[in-house]
Amino acid sequence: MGQNEPVPSLLLIEDDDAIRTALELSLTRQGHRVATAASGEDGLKLLREQRPDLIVLDVMLPGIDGFEVCRRIRRTDQLPIILLTARSDDIDVVVGLESGADDYVVKPVQGRVLDARIRAVLRRGERESSDSATFGSLVIDRSAMTVTKNGEDLQLTPTELRLLLELSRRPGQALSRQQLLRLVWEHDYLGDSRLVDACVQRLRAKVEDVPSSPTLIRTVRGVGYRLDPPQ
Amino acid sequence: MTQEHQGGLRGWAAARKGVWSRLRLTSLRLRLVVVFGLVALTAAVSASGIAYWLNREAVLTRAQDAVLRDFEQEMQNRAGSLPEHPTQDELQHTAGQMANSSQRFSVLLVAENADGETVYGSSGGLGGFSLTDVPESLRKAVTKEQKVTSANKYPYHLYWQRTVEDDTPYLVAGTRLIGGGPTGYMLKSLEPEAKDLNSLAWSLGIATGLALIGSALLAQALATTVLKPVHRLGVAARRLGEGKLDTRLRVSGTDELADLSRTFNSAAEALEKRVADMAGREAASRRFVADMSHELRTPLTAITAVTEVLEEELESEGGGIDPMIEPAVRLVVSETRRLNDLVENLMEVTRFDAGTARLVLDDVDVADQITACIDARAWLDAVELDAERGIHARLDPRRLDVILANLIGNALKHGGSPVRVSVTAADDEVVIAVRDHGPGIPEDVLPHVFDRFYKASASRPRSEGSGLGLSIALENAHIHGGEITAANSPEGGAVFTLRLPQDASTLAELDSEGSGDAEGSAGDEGKGKDAKGQA
Repeated sequence: MGQNEPVPSLLLIEDDDAIRTALELSLTRQGHRVATAASGEDGLKLLREQRPDLIVLDVMLPGIDGFEVCRRIRRTDQLPIILLTARSDDIDVVVGLESGADDYVVKPVQGRVLDARIRAVLRRGERESSDSATFGSLVIDRSAMTVTKNGEDLQLTPTELRLLLELSRRPGQALSRQQLLRLVWEHDYLGDSRLVDACVQRLRAKVEDVPSSPTLIRTVRGVGYRLDPPQ
Repeated sequence: MTQEHQGGLRGWAAARKGVWSRLRLTSLRLRLVVVFGLVALTAAVSASGIAYWLNREAVLTRAQDAVLRDFEQEMQNRAGSLPEHPTQDELQHTAGQMANSSQRFSVLLVAENADGETVYGSSGGLGGFSLTDVPESLRKAVTKEQKVTSANKYPYHLYWQRTVEDDTPYLVAGTRLIGGGPTGYMLKSLEPEAKDLNSLAWSLGIATGLALIGSALLAQALATTVLKPVHRLGVAARRLGEGKLDTRLRVSGTDELADLSRTFNSAAEALEKRVADMAGREAASRRFVADMSHELRTPLTAITAVTEVLEEELESEGGGIDPMIEPAVRLVVSETRRLNDLVENLMEVTRFDAGTARLVLDDVDVADQITACIDARAWLDAVELDAERGIHARLDPRRLDVILANLIGNALKHGGSPVRVSVTAADDEVVIAVRDHGPGIPEDVLPHVFDRFYKASASRPRSEGSGLGLSIALENAHIHGGEITAANSPEGGAVFTLRLPQDASTLAELDSEGSGDAEGSAGDEGKGKDAKGQA
């Protein structure tokens, strides 16, 4: 990160004191501004007060759990959410991604890995070029980083926006899940393809006329996804 | 492929079993019918046989006695009044008179006339009853003079015999007048009696047939009442075997089959309870492991995060750490990492044991995956890769990476470089062989290489691994429907061969891909092709 750029502010919601302290220490050393909350309720309150750039959210919380916190945030805000989960490959991850998380890391997490994920998520919101593209009723304005459908602004998270941008840059061309993981999530070769599937689901829910029979973002069996200009 | 094959075989075997059990049921039914039929047949045939025989005797004897008595009477009254040497005409006349009696038999009288010639007198009733109609033996018996003793008062007796001529039964009898006189024979048709007996035989036969049919129907009904509960029991047992432990039979009656049903029900109940107990215990232990792992992870997460801070301090140029405690910090850092690995592996093992491990499938180029795996662990210098790009497989890339990392890591640790990794595609399989150039695996260790925490010998120093690596690799292969085998190469060194199906999606019901996605994509494909064609 450059010197002139503002230091991103994070909100860490984690109930365990030791983990919260340790992660705060580690993330602060990586150059982030970190606010912490010990419960989902406190976290939601802090979110309204401090407007952080990103949320790191533990799944197992007393009171309302991480999934519910995630769903409540998504009702109003599109800021990036990274889940801290204790399990790598059971239902937790799927539920977490469906509730609107952008990425997840598995405990015990290394500070460096978390930092890399945070930076990758934050980069997704950066604008890159200054043109726009139109797919039927959908208009993607790359300079303003906005997407409109039938003239109405769509509320997309940075990850959803980045996914749409990457797909729209290669219209009609199928991108594999692993390719998308590299392009959007900046994951290494072992990225979790469920991230892509969950994000595509959420994106379809927002941009398609009928999300269950998509006409824009098509599944290419055995390959991945493709953005088609409507006929 | 193999899975499908097995499935096919199993289906075939099940179908055959079904047919077989039906056949067997039918055979029990058949046996019952046959046994019942035999019993009915024996009873009916013996009863009607005895009835027929008794009837026949009674009817014939009665008719016979009446005829013979009449004949004897006539002989005494009419033939006895003839002169000693009657003429032909006299004989004929008398015979005619005798035949006119109530019994309507034909009469033949034989006598000697005055000239010593044999004369015959016959009633013409039966179209000429002659001596040829009388059996030789009867004639002899009649004309034979017997000694008169205290037991035998007369020299001649009345003899009779039944004959059959042109399918008509006849009664033939003959006697000789005592004290000289003509010999008389009579012939009486028994046709009316035979007709009666015939119709009796017919009715008995029909009765037997009815009894047979009745017994068959009875056997059928009995078989149904017996076999229906047996069939129900069979169905229930099969359901129980399929894991539907709440299967119970309706108990009706107090017979043996009801007893059997009761026994089945109590067995099923005991089984259900036992399984529920075990499931409960298993769930409790699974919960314990999950809780424990969470408890372990929480401090470990904190420690890991802080350890990294320490590590950065160690690496920083200034050397912010006291040289005295530096080894201690290094130890904490390295052991924390090891503890992390161990907990991670333990978690993985418990997931496999609990059956909660899931495949997240993706289409990958196998050679690319291996290269990435080797690259990520900086093993490029120590590993020779013999694989062509273009071998694609549908599998869980992260699990493949775990398998490869464990196999190659193990080869590097226990074998020796260079480690050679080769990939071949065969049928529907991808075969990855990892060969090292070490001393190989001792024969007694070979069957245990995939065992958890297996140590070749107690004295052997603790290796760096968690002792779970190869076991986890094997579980990961199994969840794909694949297999890993360990062997020693004839050229030296150990060879681990990993076989994975080219498409593991038939195994995992694609719970990884969003369900809506999977639904949408089926219809999507056709539309997608159209779109491409027009573009």
